[in-house]
Amino acid sequence: MNTDKHGFKKNLLRHETVLFAVLVVEWIFFDAIGHNFGTYDNTCDILRHSCEIGLLALAMTPVILTGGIDLSVGSLLGLCAILFGKFWRDAGMPIPVAAACTIGVGALAGGLNASLIAWLRLPPLIVTLGTFSLFRGLAEAITHGVDTFTDFPASFLFLGQERWFGIPAQALVFIAAVIFFWLLVHRTTFGRSFRAIGFSPEGAHYAGIPVGRRVAMVYVLAGIVSAIAAIIYTARLGQAKADAGTGYELFAITAVVLGGTSIFGGVGSVHGTLLGVAAIAVLHSGIAHALLPGEMAGMLTGVLLILALAGSALPKMISGLRARKSAPRLAKQIP
Amino acid sequence: MRNTLLLLLLLAAAVATISGCKQSSKAPSGGNVTSTPAAKQVTIAFLPKSKGNAYFVSCAKGAQKAADELGDKLIVDGPTDPDPARQNEIVENWITLGVDVIAASCENKEGISTALRKAEARGIKVVTYDADALPDARSFFVNQATPQGIGCALMDEAARLCESNGEFAVITGSLTAENQTEWRKFVEERRAAAYPNMKCVAVEACDDLKDKAQSETTALLSTYPDLKLILSTTSLGVPGAAEAIKQAGKTGAVKNIGLGLPDENKRYVHDGVTQSVILWKTADLGYLTIYAADALARGTLKAGDKTFKAGSLGEFEIQGDNIMLGKPFTFNQDNIDQFDF
Repeated sequence: MNTDKHGFKKNLLRHETVLFAVLVVEWIFFDAIGHNFGTYDNTCDILRHSCEIGLLALAMTPVILTGGIDLSVGSLLGLCAILFGKFWRDAGMPIPVAAACTIGVGALAGGLNASLIAWLRLPPLIVTLGTFSLFRGLAEAITHGVDTFTDFPASFLFLGQERWFGIPAQALVFIAAVIFFWLLVHRTTFGRSFRAIGFSPEGAHYAGIPVGRRVAMVYVLAGIVSAIAAIIYTARLGQAKADAGTGYELFAITAVVLGGTSIFGGVGSVHGTLLGVAAIAVLHSGIAHALLPGEMAGMLTGVLLILALAGSALPKMISGLRARKSAPRLAKQIP
Repeated sequence: MRNTLLLLLLLAAAVATISGCKQSSKAPSGGNVTSTPAAKQVTIAFLPKSKGNAYFVSCAKGAQKAADELGDKLIVDGPTDPDPARQNEIVENWITLGVDVIAASCENKEGISTALRKAEARGIKVVTYDADALPDARSFFVNQATPQGIGCALMDEAARLCESNGEFAVITGSLTAENQTEWRKFVEERRAAAYPNMKCVAVEACDDLKDKAQSETTALLSTYPDLKLILSTTSLGVPGAAEAIKQAGKTGAVKNIGLGLPDENKRYVHDGVTQSVILWKTADLGYLTIYAADALARGTLKAGDKTFKAGSLGEFEIQGDNIMLGKPFTFNQDNIDQFDF
């Protein structure tokens, strides 16, 4: 009984709970001041618009859990989008084959990051800063910056634009990815090893965790997910261009950090990331529906990030203060 | 963790309930209780390529003026970052918002057409301005200038300044860009037809760089001592050429004209280095666009119309589904200070 009560209180002060409350407040607020904000149509649009960044954020979560970072996901999305277009239009592949090849390219590109980080032991920030430019540069070089791919068949565009039993088609892919990453991070030994590596790579190594292989795995996964996001992005826009996904890496990282994952690794959750993505997506849509200037979105995302992080740090600080107060009494009792 | 999961599920349920209960309603503030549909306020959403760009800011000024005159509600929003998907998201938000008309300048022709078609399917009227979408994704395109109009305006102005004879040189953005090639073609066509005593001695590409335009012009000035005029078909060519002429001490002796924005040329125009800058009145473009959007929503502008009347600007010609803004406008010493873009 007592432990249950404690558990409840602990959960109440968790970062995810605070963020959830923020999200609910956001929703109620925009529903009140916005026009047609809380409608089913708009809920579907929010899902559709946040799908690509949501996927990238999901894949970014294990990366950051291991204490790493992947700045190349947005650029890789751009590269995969135009390669997908190339496979389909220029190589004449049917859409499913082109998609499979694109995912293969994503895995390879993730593998490049992985091998440089895991085996050459280069810092992830530097490696992915390099591939950030490399992938975008390749995309621009392949298309000379002007070639775009369009006129995709309607059956493919369905994935990005239509609903399947009332749910946006790409949301189903997203839900599958959420389940996959949640199980991976929270229900497998892999997940535990990501956290262990994030806390201390040396410690994890001495505990018998194959650190190199596990780190490589998260970057390859990020590559694969970027490719999937690229295909969804292309279907949503009906167009693939070299500048697809510009700046998405920062949106994804913001969502992950907002979701309570420590940028130093070791701490974090997939559902936190999900809440982070939702909080940002609701904010963007809400601002548009309340007819507020769009540039407020960036500003308010910053405010949201600071509020959510401060909100969850505050209880810890208070309990820290309490512990310090009670400490002298304890010290007296000991002798 | 279990509790958080439970909370997530609750959220999903809450969202589903709230959403399920509410039906989309039309037009944010167009619901004024008026019986005649013609008197109903029209909500027009105006989409620039990028929000902070001075060119579009002045377009939006004209748009606001028109909306005030018509008593319409105007929403202006555009991308502030380079993400090509942003315009689509803005349009899709407007669809759920329930605006009556969307007026768009399109960054990605094919990309945004998907969203615009979706808007049309929901009964929202679509016009484009400045940069067109695919023809099946909009009703009308407010066309600010045809390549022929631009080519003729440039050549006529060159001939006026050179008294219809002498040598001139052309600075172009690149030799391959489609719009540049088109404009040069009409410059040449006009020259051959109307000014046979004028001679184009060189065409140089400046790669849309001001520095390159300057160095190319310097080279031209020494290669062709009889050169009377430099004509730029790219906006960065005009100030670049002006700087070269000024540094060579040939201010006034070699005239300088071209396509460009008033702001980046004001200094040179006042110094007498650059004689004329040619473009269109961006505020008029915004103004005409809103009048067209309003008329389309009210059903007074229909496919097949040949002319269109836009408030204080008067009649405009319609070619097919293009509403023509008309002849380009020449900015010179007398009027350039009135413009701010």
